[in-house]
Amino acid sequence: MMTEYSNLSLESHNLSVTAAPITSLPVKEEMMTKAAPITSLPVQEEMRTKAVPIISLPVQEEMTTKYSNLSLESHSISMTVERPNMPVEKNITLERPSNVELTCQFTPSGNLNSVNVTWKKGDKLLEDNYLVNTTGSILYTQYRVAIINSKQMGSYSCFFGEKKQQRGTFNLKVPEINGKNKPLITYVGDTVVLICKCQDCLPLNWTWYSGNGSVQVPIGIPVNDKYVISGKHANETKLKITQLSEDDQGTYWCHAIFELGESEGHVELVVLSYLVPLKAFCAIAAEVVLLVAIILLFEMYTQKKKKPSDDGKEIEQGEQLKLDDSNGIENSGPRHRKNESVGQ
Amino acid sequence: MTTPKPTGPPDGGWGWVVAAAGFAVNGLSYGVLRSLGLAFPDFAEYFDRNAQETAWVSALALAVQQAASPVGSALSTRWGARPVVMVGGILTSLGFVFSAFAHSLLHLYLGLGVLAGSGWALVFAPALGTVSRYFSRRRVLAVGLALTGNGASSLLLAPALQLLLDNFGWRGSLLLLGAVTLHLTPCGALLRPLALPGDPLALPRSPLAALGLGLFRHRAFLVLTLGTALVGVGYFIPYVHLAPHALDRGLGGYGAVLVVAAAAVGDIGARLLCGWLADQGWVPLPRLLTVFGALTGLGLLAVGLVPVVGNEDSWGGPLLAAAGVYGLSAGSYAPLIFCVLPELVGIGNVVQATGLVMMLLSLGGLLGPPLSGFLRDETGDFTASFLTCGSFVLSGSFVYLGLPKALPSCRPASRPGTPPPEMGELLPVPQIALLSPGDPHSTLDTTC
Repeated sequence: MMTEYSNLSLESHNLSVTAAPITSLPVKEEMMTKAAPITSLPVQEEMRTKAVPIISLPVQEEMTTKYSNLSLESHSISMTVERPNMPVEKNITLERPSNVELTCQFTPSGNLNSVNVTWKKGDKLLEDNYLVNTTGSILYTQYRVAIINSKQMGSYSCFFGEKKQQRGTFNLKVPEINGKNKPLITYVGDTVVLICKCQDCLPLNWTWYSGNGSVQVPIGIPVNDKYVISGKHANETKLKITQLSEDDQGTYWCHAIFELGESEGHVELVVLSYLVPLKAFCAIAAEVVLLVAIILLFEMYTQKKKKPSDDGKEIEQGEQLKLDDSNGIENSGPRHRKNESVGQ
Repeated sequence: MTTPKPTGPPDGGWGWVVAAAGFAVNGLSYGVLRSLGLAFPDFAEYFDRNAQETAWVSALALAVQQAASPVGSALSTRWGARPVVMVGGILTSLGFVFSAFAHSLLHLYLGLGVLAGSGWALVFAPALGTVSRYFSRRRVLAVGLALTGNGASSLLLAPALQLLLDNFGWRGSLLLLGAVTLHLTPCGALLRPLALPGDPLALPRSPLAALGLGLFRHRAFLVLTLGTALVGVGYFIPYVHLAPHALDRGLGGYGAVLVVAAAAVGDIGARLLCGWLADQGWVPLPRLLTVFGALTGLGLLAVGLVPVVGNEDSWGGPLLAAAGVYGLSAGSYAPLIFCVLPELVGIGNVVQATGLVMMLLSLGGLLGPPLSGFLRDETGDFTASFLTCGSFVLSGSFVYLGLPKALPSCRPASRPGTPPPEMGELLPVPQIALLSPGDPHSTLDTTC
């Protein structure tokens, strides 16, 4: 059973707060050779049997050899009685099929042997594939599973105790995709590139969908010039849309397909017509023209008032203004800087 | 063409309107330029280029604006500040509108960098020069007020631009920024021409003369340009590298923001405070220039030498203090560099001199930040960068000692500490000797 999955990576997840030894192969070997009582049969969960302390050496070896070329990932959660009833959670990201080793460490206040240990996936009780060991005053339990398909992803929890249960949860998920949080604003006739990225992961394939409401329509089928998808087999995918029109507005979804499931991100696209900012521009430009006209008119007015001045000074005026958008005020005549009457 | 003898600078009245126009010009040029960086991530994403290439947009605009400043002042010497600033406003606006339809980063370089930069070159020096012309007793305050425009503008424009980007994308935002910068034209309309006693009697004959290169024959101006070129190398480095330096020293993101804010607040406050202080006339302007230049240099040295902060959560006391000192001194320096010009070259040449000073500052501005970045890459942190820029500023201030009245002179104390207010001039007697360029003006040299 486990033999078929020997080519998988082994992932053991450990979150050790205490300086506790991580359960790993040596411990297992120790248990195997010393024939220490273990509480379960290391058998795949589908073949559920009773939790009878049996050491099945050959089976175990088979299993380990078949999976040995997979990467081992160990994760563990540590719990103590001093922090009761605080559910401890750990998120684990899995990209490809792996062997996963989940370890819970618990330091009970009372007698170690009286603590009942159980594992659950979601709400379903797991009866095999886990080991319990004690070192000093710390109780370890380790669950090993080969994750090969998306059905095996989910939440795995270890429980200590009957009444006051201490619970540690491992959430197995596929990697998250980052699209864009803010809407992308573009204009009619423009070209846009939508990007979806996956941090440190390499999906098998990417697909793009445009979504209006709850319906998702795949893009790129049939292949046409408007949509160009690049980077189908990389950690980043780009969808280039040309000749944008207002119909192209909406949400675009990128799906990353992994062996262990699918993950998606989204990018929102807004397509505006140039008229939108253009109207504002024209309004402001009109206001500027008005301001200039007011300023110049005001100046002409105050200077006209000063023409018959009290001290009889002769004031020669001439201003040549170079304006493109003046409203028609043009004074001809050479402009002499010095011949201007002082304002005030 | 007979002219009545013009009176001196009004020192108020319409002058305050001109100062407000200068405030707006500063805000619509430097303020917009500073906030433009907010759009860079959108540019980088759309054109698929990296951050450095998009940053060239504003670097190019700044370079064009400062280097072409003498052209702006030359044109305004010929035709007056008003038409030049109005045309500059239109040019800048066109640059933004053109870049809103860009299809490559090159279009942005041309539209924002060259076109808008040229428009800004036509507006800054003439506007600032005109503010100087309208004041004498309150000149430093008025110029300082005008120079606070870019700080106030970036405070307003930064969130506004982010809002525009979120609602209109970068194309719409550039288009609307074009409409905003079009307001430079009404600001130009406010710059009423003014006749002053110191104006040259004839218009310059040739474009070269209009550039004001003849000003370099004044020893005092030469000293100023040399000192300013040196100061310019170091002056702009904190604009670019103060925040990264704070982060390098171990402060968290908010600690770095606080440091930059301390420098900015000090800068803005000092422009006004020093403006008021300088106008009191207790200390001659060249001396103030030297002092604050030196303080800026020392502040930069302090910023560079500040020790590494222990943890990320601390508010970085020593660095904050050093940044505050730098901000206060740099802010005091800014209006002074423009206000010392009328004393040195005469009020008639102020616009041209302003353009030339801007050009010199730009040379330093092009050299300084890359040098600082290079030193950072070589040595691993910004200590060497800030020490270098501090020493450039200090050496420039040392050169300023050669300015007339910078050193306490052995001149007989014939005039009291405060200028006679009824004269309305900061330096009554020696200024007239500088009316025609080329006159020997030994009266203004530092002598005993």
